[in-house]
Parts: sequence; structure tokens; C-alpha cells
Amino acid sequence: MANNQQLSTKHLLGIKYITAEDIRLIFDTAKNFKEVINRPIKKVPSLRDITIANLFFENSTRTRISFELAEKRLSADVVNFSASSSSVKKGETLLDTVNNILSMKVDMVVMRHPAPGAPQFLAQHIDANIINAGDGTHEHPTQALLDAFSMEEQVGDLRGKHIAIFGDILHSRVALSNIFCLQKLGAKVKVCGPPTLIPKHIDTLGVEVEYDVKKALAWCDVANILRIQLERQDIKYFPSLREYAQYFGINKKLLDQLDKPIVIMHPGPINRGVEISSDVADSDHSIILQQVENGVAIRMAILFLLAARVSEARQKSK
Amino acid sequence: MDLLIKKATIIDPESDYHRKQVDVQIREGKITHMADEIEGKDTAVFEVPDLHLLPGLMDVGTVVGDPGFEHREDMYSASKAAAAGGFTALACYPNTQPVVDSKSGVRYIKNNEEDLVVNFYPIGAVSEKCEGKDITEMIDMYQAGAVAFSDGQHPIQHNGMMMRALQYVKSFDGVILNHPHDISIASGGQLNEGRISTMMGIKGIPNMAEELMVQRDIYLAEYTDSRVHIANISTAGAVEMVRKAKKSGIKVTASVPALNLKFTDQELLNFNSNLKVLPPLRTETDRQALLEGIKDQTIDFLTSNHVPLEEEAKKLEFSFADFGAAGLETAFLLSWQILKEEVSLEDMVRLWSRAPREMLKITLPTIRPGTLARLTLFQPSIPWQVDPKRLYSKSSNSPFTDEKFVGCIRGIINGRKSEIFDR
Repeated sequence: MANNQQLSTKHLLGIKYITAEDIRLIFDTAKNFKEVINRPIKKVPSLRDITIANLFFENSTRTRISFELAEKRLSADVVNFSASSSSVKKGETLLDTVNNILSMKVDMVVMRHPAPGAPQFLAQHIDANIINAGDGTHEHPTQALLDAFSMEEQVGDLRGKHIAIFGDILHSRVALSNIFCLQKLGAKVKVCGPPTLIPKHIDTLGVEVEYDVKKALAWCDVANILRIQLERQDIKYFPSLREYAQYFGINKKLLDQLDKPIVIMHPGPINRGVEISSDVADSDHSIILQQVENGVAIRMAILFLLAARVSEARQKSK
Repeated sequence: MDLLIKKATIIDPESDYHRKQVDVQIREGKITHMADEIEGKDTAVFEVPDLHLLPGLMDVGTVVGDPGFEHREDMYSASKAAAAGGFTALACYPNTQPVVDSKSGVRYIKNNEEDLVVNFYPIGAVSEKCEGKDITEMIDMYQAGAVAFSDGQHPIQHNGMMMRALQYVKSFDGVILNHPHDISIASGGQLNEGRISTMMGIKGIPNMAEELMVQRDIYLAEYTDSRVHIANISTAGAVEMVRKAKKSGIKVTASVPALNLKFTDQELLNFNSNLKVLPPLRTETDRQALLEGIKDQTIDFLTSNHVPLEEEAKKLEFSFADFGAAGLETAFLLSWQILKEEVSLEDMVRLWSRAPREMLKITLPTIRPGTLARLTLFQPSIPWQVDPKRLYSKSSNSPFTDEKFVGCIRGIINGRKSEIFDR
């Protein structure tokens, strides 16, 4: 896969640190990889000499499997580490844990961590290329890229398109990365949810706020519905799931009232019957499973492009 | 100690020698003679360019750590760091282990202070163990040498207890210091709430968390007709509230940390945990309001907001790192760097030497023959660069690693003791 173009950065720490050109390059590369993973033989040798550590300090199923598949399809050597089976519980610092792993000659680190900014912290102290697989309530850049990529497949060029993000914006790294990514691609973004779950200053990012689900649905071309992050809510932000589902959940009845079809997305895992009803999640408008497929292609593209920076660094050090 | 200081410009509006360049003879801890030219016989002579003598500076609300957290800062290292920053006196917070909430805690500090170059003035706790429940034996502590009362790093949340504390200290015209920080509003916040915290995906501390408590403390001071000091304010709204309260004659004073005059939350976008402090760094609008408050004397004095922390508590992911920065050694110079175009050296003396002592009712040092020598040796126009290896605080959480300041502290003289640095 000949590609002379390069990303502007050696890490993927967040969407706010990359350019619109970077995003386009990732998408173009991902299109090629999407074709690869639909072949009978789904594997290419591009990352044969690259070792990647997947460090998951927080639970994850799909992101972790998606990254691991992407790495394996690129023929990288992969090691997995998760907090539950790790030394983190023994009181080791993040820096020590990572340095120990890097001593075993690892080139790239894919990290999920509960603390916002943990990947930046790491990037300031270690040499390896870092991919942020979600850092607390900060960013989840690969999710935003696969979301925007999936949206483009459905509605074409995102410039001027209306994208609404529904749900728990306050505790969502997906929302923040989505906002940065969609704005870089020229889309208009609105967020919708109960006021207690919308960051007070979100408008300073150029985002509109809507509390009425019906109005937000009528406005948008694409509805990206987020999960209620109960595990991050230390206090009660809304009284009950029942009331939430009733006033902020997306159901078939709401969609039937619209005068146009809209695309329904969800980064998963979904709470059926809470933020999204089953008849919406399983409807023709929903592209939830396409998102998952695109996730592998997008992650392959990012790994591939960042690995080029590893090879470049190796050349220089010779 | 005996020393002859040559060609020093005196900055002390209370002295006849104010703004004059003279030689100063010090014998046995006292200023014995001041004149245009003094012959140095059998005494050490100190002469450096652009030397100014200021009445010894004082920091209010220093966190020391002795007893209990000596690995962060003990009284010796705090004293050394204070001297390096130009301070001859520290009023230290009770946030030690055990908390200074009885006269024995006050006496521990007074007893250990004797051998040190800097004077330590204990601030007693308002509530037992600084838990915010029951008020302490404040009269007893006052008699033992406590100069003020505060729960220090634990802002007083309970309105009723704050009211009773203010009433109680009236019997000896005491003063209560409180950091305005409403925990139920700030809950979990890690930095100023605004565009920056939103971009970082981190819960913010709204201005209101500070301002609700500033207004509460002003109300309570008015109701009780007692003295309150609102320590380390950081928002434009808080400055305005203090300004109004002062105009209506309420007994309120206020201070601002030097660091908040320099930085805004913009500096945190790269998750720099060394600048994770309380009060948080706010916006440029707030910073400008603080500067305005200093100029019109709404702000009475400045503080180092010195919170020494070990590397293990700071070199961490942003949300896991503790709040606080070491400031003793750089606070005065930092404020001089920011303010020197706007305020005079006389103002600097008011902000760092007179006003804190007036609030605490401590004798003001003056620079004239016959008085105790309590001096800060300062070169306002000589550059000095921070060298982290030559900072005296036990903790390494100074946000300044190689900052170049215009202005150099050469040391202090405090009675018979002195600390002079080769810089």
C-alpha cells in the first residue's frame, strides 16, 4: 500500500491535536483497509516489524477487540495488558508500568485510561507512539473518526450537514471527540440531553444546545446517541432511568413523526430501552453495526500511518 | 550579628531614610547607625549593586508540614526557603498532623522557631482537626501565640460554625481566615470551569464556588461585626464583592496568590499538573480584575500560596495529582515581575510586609537606627534565574524550572540571625 503522505503528529492523543488533512488521510487509508478486511484473506504484512502494547486501565470490550483485530490484520506483534490483572492495583504508577513494558522494546502503545490527559502525560515522558483509546471524560479519537467515516458513507460530504449528539454529554469522551472531528470536517453540531448532563460551557466550542429531543431530531441529518455513563456519575444527574427513557430516549414513535429519514448511530454498548429503544436500534436507519466494522478499518489506518513514523524514527537513529 | 551594609537604598515610608541611599551598620541584631558613609572597622561588609533594603516580608497562610508531613517541608526547610524568597516571617496554616487545634500545637511551633532565621506565627485551627464541626479553644491558642484562626486548606463549609467562630474571636479582636471554596458546588472540579475545562473534558470549578462563599463570609462579618480575611481569591466577581463590602465599612480584608497574577487556565491545556492549584488559575478577565484590585487596594496583600508536595503526589495524571505549588522562593519576585510597571516599591512593601502584619496585629518592622534589624535584601533590577537544584524547599513542585526574573533576593536579616545567599 504505497502512501507517501504522513500524519502531522507521531501520536493520536485526541482529535483536537490533529488537522482536517490528517483526518482526510486517515479516511482515505481506511477505505483501502476496508476493502482488505472484506477479502477472503484479511491480512497484510505492513506492520510485521512493529510491536504494539494494548494497555487497558479501564474496562473495554469492543474497542479492545477492534484494536487487537486491526493490529493482527496488519501483522503486528501484540501484547495485552489490563488493569484487573495488572500491577496497577499494587500501587505502581502509570509511568512505571509503561516504562517497564517499553523496556521490552515495544514500539507503540494503545492506551485506555480513566484519567483525562493520561495519554498526554505519557507522551511527555516516554518515546513510544501513543494512541488514545479513550481517556476518562476527555477524548476517544478513534471512535470519533470511525463515527465521522460512517456518517460520510451514509450522507456524503459532511460540510454543512447537521449532526445531533444525544444523551450524557457531560461524562462522554465520545461527544467531545465527535464535536472536534465533525467541526473539522465542516459539519454543524448540536447536543441534546437533560441540562444536568450538558457541560455549562459547551457553547464556547461552537456547539448549539437543545433540551427538546423532538426539535433536535427534526433538525438533524444524523443522530448520534450516547450511552448513559452511570459508572461515571458520582451523584444523581437525573432522577430515574424510567424518566430519562421517557423524555430523552429515542424511540420509533419519535422517528415516525419526522418528515425525513435520519441516520441513527450509537457507539455502543447500548442500553436498550434507556437512551434508545430496540425498534430504533434494530431499524433500517440504524448503522450501529456498520460503525463497528468501520472501527477496524479506521484503527488499521491509524496504526499503519503512525507506524510509518516509527520506521522513520528508526531510520534516523541508525 | 554584626554587618555593615554599603550603599543600600531604603524603602520604608515610615523611615526618615526612605528612598535614600545610605550605609547601614548592624550590631547584635540592631540597626545602630545609618549614614551616607560609614567606615567598616572589624565588621563584615556587604556591598552589591542596586541593593535595596525592605522591611522584612511576611507570607500569610504558608503550608509547612511540620509535624506530620516533614517529608514535604519541615520548619527548617521552610525557613530556608522563606529566607531565599525574602521573607522574615511566616504565618503558617494549621494543616499539619496533628492539626494545630490546641495550645500544645501552637507551642510546638513557637518552641521550634527559636533556632530558625524566620519567625513563625502559628494560625490555629477554627475547628477540631479542621473537620468543620466544632470550634476549637481559640482563646487558649491566642494566649499561647496563635495570631489568627483558619482551617487552612479545608475551607469552612458550615455557615453556622463560621458565624460562631467569627463571634467567638471578637473577645480578643481576632481574625478568621477562610479560603472561599464551596465544596458542594466545586465537587470533583479540577481546574477553572470554562472553555478550557470543557475542551479538556474535566469537571471544572465554577467562579460561583468561590463567590458564594465570599459573599457568605462578607454577610457573616457584617452580621457579627467581626474581622474576616478572605484568603486567596481568584475571580473578578470576588474582587468586586470585597470592593463593595469595604466601601460599606465591613471588616473584610482579602489576599491573592502571586501565581494567579501570572497564569490563566490556558496554561493547563497540555494537562500540566504542576499548575494544578487552588484557587484554580482562572481566565484573563479574572486575572485583569485581580490586578485592578491590587491597584485600588481592594486586595490587601499577596501570598505565596506555598503548598509543598512530593513528586509522587504531582508527577501523575492531571486528575490524580494533588492541588498545590511550591511558591515561597519565587512569589515575591513573580509579583514584582508582573507588577513593577504598575506599582511602586512602596506598594510592594505594603503588599508583602505591612498589610499582612496590620491584619495580624504584629509589630511592623521599620528601618531606622535603634530598631531591630528585620530586613529583606533586594536588588530590583538585577536578573536572577531559577535553578531547581538550588531551591531550598524540600518539595520539587515549583512550577518554575528555569524562569528568568528581573529582581534578585539576596537574603534576609532578622535580628541576630541572617541568611545571605551568593547569587
